[in-house]
Amino acid sequence: MGRIKALVIKEFRQIRRTRAYLGLIFVAPFVQLIVMGSAITNEVKDIPLIVVDGDHSPASREIINRFSALSLFDFRGVADSTVRADRLFDRGEIKAALVIPRGFERDMGRGLSPQIQVLIDGVDGNSAGVSLGYITSMAGEIQKGWIGSRATGAGAEIVPRFYYNPGLESKLNFVPGLIGILLFMITSMLTAINIVREKELGTLEQLMATPLGGIRLIVGKIIPFTVLGLVQFSVGLIAARLVFGIPVAGNLLLLYFMALLFIMSTLGLGIFISTVTSTQQQAMFVAWFSMIFALLLSGFFVPVGNMPPLVQKITLLNPLRYFMSVLREIYLKGTPFRYLLPEAAAMGGMGIGLITAATLRFHRRLE
Amino acid sequence: MGIREGSAAVEVRELTKRFGDFTAVDRVSFTVGKGEIFGFLGANGAGKTTTIRMLCGLLAPSGGEGSVAGYDIIGEYGKIKGRIGYMSQKFSLYNDLTVGENIEFYGGIYGLTPGEIRDRSGELFAIIGLEELKGKLTASLPMGWKQRLALCAGLIHDPAIIFLDEPTSGVDPLSRRNFWKLIYRLSDMGKTVFVTTHYMDEAEYCHRLSIMKGGRILEMDSPHALKGKYGAQNMQEVFLASLKEGS
Repeated sequence: MGRIKALVIKEFRQIRRTRAYLGLIFVAPFVQLIVMGSAITNEVKDIPLIVVDGDHSPASREIINRFSALSLFDFRGVADSTVRADRLFDRGEIKAALVIPRGFERDMGRGLSPQIQVLIDGVDGNSAGVSLGYITSMAGEIQKGWIGSRATGAGAEIVPRFYYNPGLESKLNFVPGLIGILLFMITSMLTAINIVREKELGTLEQLMATPLGGIRLIVGKIIPFTVLGLVQFSVGLIAARLVFGIPVAGNLLLLYFMALLFIMSTLGLGIFISTVTSTQQQAMFVAWFSMIFALLLSGFFVPVGNMPPLVQKITLLNPLRYFMSVLREIYLKGTPFRYLLPEAAAMGGMGIGLITAATLRFHRRLE
Repeated sequence: MGIREGSAAVEVRELTKRFGDFTAVDRVSFTVGKGEIFGFLGANGAGKTTTIRMLCGLLAPSGGEGSVAGYDIIGEYGKIKGRIGYMSQKFSLYNDLTVGENIEFYGGIYGLTPGEIRDRSGELFAIIGLEELKGKLTASLPMGWKQRLALCAGLIHDPAIIFLDEPTSGVDPLSRRNFWKLIYRLSDMGKTVFVTTHYMDEAEYCHRLSIMKGGRILEMDSPHALKGKYGAQNMQEVFLASLKEGS
């Protein structure tokens, strides 16, 4: 025990003298949450839109008026032809256009159900889908007005209510996720770099010449970086509360317990990376690579359920995937532990597996 | 912890290390007695460091056998590690710790209690002359002092044998001489010193020395006997003559 204590004390002394660590732990969560928490959103607002009016009738004017009045759209005027609309699309000035055909009102009067064409910039498929949704529901409402003025019988109306995030605010979804990503970054990358740095400096060889042994060495690295990770996690929780006013709906103790399991897996990954690389640059590169991988396959941007079946299977190896859903569950829904058992088991299992693999790779002898 | 009763400090037979096709150490045999200052003289790449690493349990030998402090270097390297001190070629203590913190750390790693560390480091600091520098950041020390600090860290657990891999490279002549005074002092205290060097003048200070080239030992005797054998005035001449004969 005394030997591990000596290692832990030494590690904290070094951390205290390294300003960059303090910045990473106390400043980075705030900066990252403020910047990314505000920037990352899948809410679609201010869609630049024009209307190509081929009809010039009271009906087409009503459509124009209704769309230009809605704040969801950034109404950019009326055009005479789709040629003009195409040019505006090419220049990136508009994202959507409504095309009202000639004879629209006349055909409607004859009961012919005329068509309105919607042109949408499909580069960002997600935003395009959301824009189309807005336009369709807007058009539906206008139509209901027309039908209501002429006919009586009405259809059923759907009244939505969103659970856990009533306003469908994306910050509620993204901010807890960001805390997880930050924790992944700090714990895996710093650990990998820290150990490889000792390799580069030759201090690791010196340690290997002592009776310390690989297991004690790894435990002596895990303890300080776990503490570091938990401190940073707490700073993240505080930042989420202060900056975005997002409180934790569930049990805080449970959240910390899950964070601890998650840290075990990311530290294991970091230590493992340090055993397969020999310079800080290599370690940094491998850690970055695994981080991007973990991030994209975590469900942070794209729900795991939307991924192809094979990729969904790959995400099962990603500790961030589990922690991402745990964070959202506990943060927003206050889910109790019994429903999070599979996630806890997966993260804990991966942690034990990775740390064991790293310890086995950490030969007592240098090769 | 000392050397096992009835054993030599170091004893190896036909010790070999191959890295792929390259043979770094080629069937080397020698014995080092207790309290001896045993030197390895050779150019860079002669196999000195590789031999030391095998003796310290850092590298597994490809062939041959040996013991350090009476324990087998293949099966019992765990027992060897607590009985030896090792100072590598490259300065490898922590630059961002103070002198005192480095010593405290190594004391802790070797399993000493805080009280033992205090007593032992007090003794060593007095001998080595580090007392006033205790609170200084290691990075701020000149190279000569860093090397003394590394020696101090290697001695904190009172090992019976100390391995010094080119301890004086990159140090000014005066510091080198002072370092050798320390080595003599250790020998007087009954410690076995195993030292590698490529400085000819330092070779003269050893009780016994072996000249290495291409992973093999060309000569092994006292500096006096070697000079007699080659009719040489100094070690420089011995070294060049032995290399010529050996090739």
